[in-house]
Amino acid sequence: MMSAMRQLLLTLRTAASSPSRNARSATVLGRLLAAAFLVCLLTGLYSHFLQEPASWMRFPTSPVWLYQVTQGIHITAGIAAIPLLLGKLHAVFPQLFQHPPVRHPVQVLERASIALFISTSVLQLVTGLLNTYQWYPWPFPFKQVHFALSFVIIGSLAVHIAVKLPLITRYWRARDSYDADGRFVEPSGELDPARAEHEAVRELARMRRDDAPTSTPQPAAVEPSAPQPRGLVGRVTRWIDDAREPERDPARSRVSRRGFFGAIGASTVGVVALTAGQSFTPLQPLNAFGPRQRGIGPNDLPVNRTASAAKVLETAMDPDWQLTIAHGERTMAFTASDLQAMAQGDERLPISCVEGWSQTAHWRGPRLVELMALVGAPADRSLRVTSLEEKGGYRVMLMGPEYATDPATLVALEVNGGRLDIEHGYPARMIAPGRPGVLQTKWLSLIEVI
Amino acid sequence: MTRSSAVPAVPSSAASGSGASGRGVRVARAVLVVVGVALIGLGGWVLTETVSPTRYGGLLVWLIGAVIAHDAVIAPVVAGIALIVGRTGRRISPTVLAILQVGIVLGVVLSLVVVPEIISKARGTKNDTVLPFDYGTRLAVAWLVVAVLTALAVVVWTVLARRREARRTA
Repeated sequence: MMSAMRQLLLTLRTAASSPSRNARSATVLGRLLAAAFLVCLLTGLYSHFLQEPASWMRFPTSPVWLYQVTQGIHITAGIAAIPLLLGKLHAVFPQLFQHPPVRHPVQVLERASIALFISTSVLQLVTGLLNTYQWYPWPFPFKQVHFALSFVIIGSLAVHIAVKLPLITRYWRARDSYDADGRFVEPSGELDPARAEHEAVRELARMRRDDAPTSTPQPAAVEPSAPQPRGLVGRVTRWIDDAREPERDPARSRVSRRGFFGAIGASTVGVVALTAGQSFTPLQPLNAFGPRQRGIGPNDLPVNRTASAAKVLETAMDPDWQLTIAHGERTMAFTASDLQAMAQGDERLPISCVEGWSQTAHWRGPRLVELMALVGAPADRSLRVTSLEEKGGYRVMLMGPEYATDPATLVALEVNGGRLDIEHGYPARMIAPGRPGVLQTKWLSLIEVI
Repeated sequence: MTRSSAVPAVPSSAASGSGASGRGVRVARAVLVVVGVALIGLGGWVLTETVSPTRYGGLLVWLIGAVIAHDAVIAPVVAGIALIVGRTGRRISPTVLAILQVGIVLGVVLSLVVVPEIISKARGTKNDTVLPFDYGTRLAVAWLVVAVLTALAVVVWTVLARRREARRTA
């Protein structure tokens, strides 16, 4: 039973082996993947704290594109991680068939951390991508799970790196990884924490030496002279061995490795180039597959939450609409024409979504600082801003003093040269530098000093 | 990538860290394990704080499903295709095989990203500015462009290789 199991695992491992599946490829792709995940974590945390700040937190309002760029990078790095993760998993796939599956306590930790990393990172990339398409086919809340899993991913990655550190340092440089003929240099046993990692490979090499006449590689199929397993297993083993034959030639295996890295590189560049135009101006002409396109929509600007979804079609169009500003006992109300009669500020500010897309627009309206001065609001106070929306997670928005006192923050009445469309927050919306789009409250109703 | 012509059997990078027994490596590993376990714990805590326990079952199914989808479906299919190509494609030049591989992988990865987009659009979006393109047609065009570029690369390489061969025999 054990020997059949061993034979099966070895067969699977041979079947899965290929010149690109070695520790050097895993190291190269692992570095890139770790960098991508770390970038995603940091840019994601930035967005998280902007949306749910601790009371003492203050954020930069300049440069105004800070949030836009961090979130564009977040989504783009996440998309780039898809081919990188597939390539990494491809490079290490034969490790799945280690025999015995667990030989050493360190290996328990290793395999558990890998299982955790693969499941969480695959799920994170799938759900993150589908979130940008606004499709949620899973039975759990996206935002909370995405946030919690981000720590689990980085944590299991750290454990995985710790376990593999000797191998990573061993294969950090290309010149230490291949011999003069371009053959991969197998690691020596003591490099490996559990020592078992590469024993199967060496065992396999020994078996091959015993089995096959190791002369020049034959292009045509050759029956090995030594005894082989009989029956179906033997046939399958021979077929696999046969298929693997060309790759034992160093020149072929070098080309095969280059093909592998070429494929992963081209895929990464391809998916990034054809989607990142939703976030980055230079790539805009290439935006073939981005879920958003700049310049589309009312006022030439994309929309997320619509007026009908927010149930403001009537309240926002009400001719008696007023914006109320309250500072303790002092309360002032402004009609749309009151606001239009005030000095108007002009600002070029981006509207940027956590989903990655963004667009800079030309906004016009009274400056928030001037409105707050009218009610005598002190500079160090936060604001509570309420929308006409009946319900929704962003109906009430808190604004820290750094945004409330920034002269660029507008109560916008116009965008891109026209009156605000109802989809963009008519009669008035907030627009502040460097904040997530969901906090640029539309259909303003009430601003309170708190 | 630079590669020295004579590579020592035991590379210098491993010798400087003296393998798994090196002190620097030991400290680094300990720090990474502690930080890693702490982050996993933090993630678990955040999950219990923010997600209702009634959703844990569904999350677990999706987490396990992600591993199964990769390890039991995607990876074996890729390994199987690689085996068949390795067996049937040995008369084809390895460079041509590599070029074909680049084209196919690029097309497949693009499809992996775009097919869910097509489905999502077909299911209906909240407004017209979400998923504004005809992604199916665009994906078909992308496959066509990738196929043409791949074919061009194969032709160019084959012509160059023949010329090289002719010069050598001349």
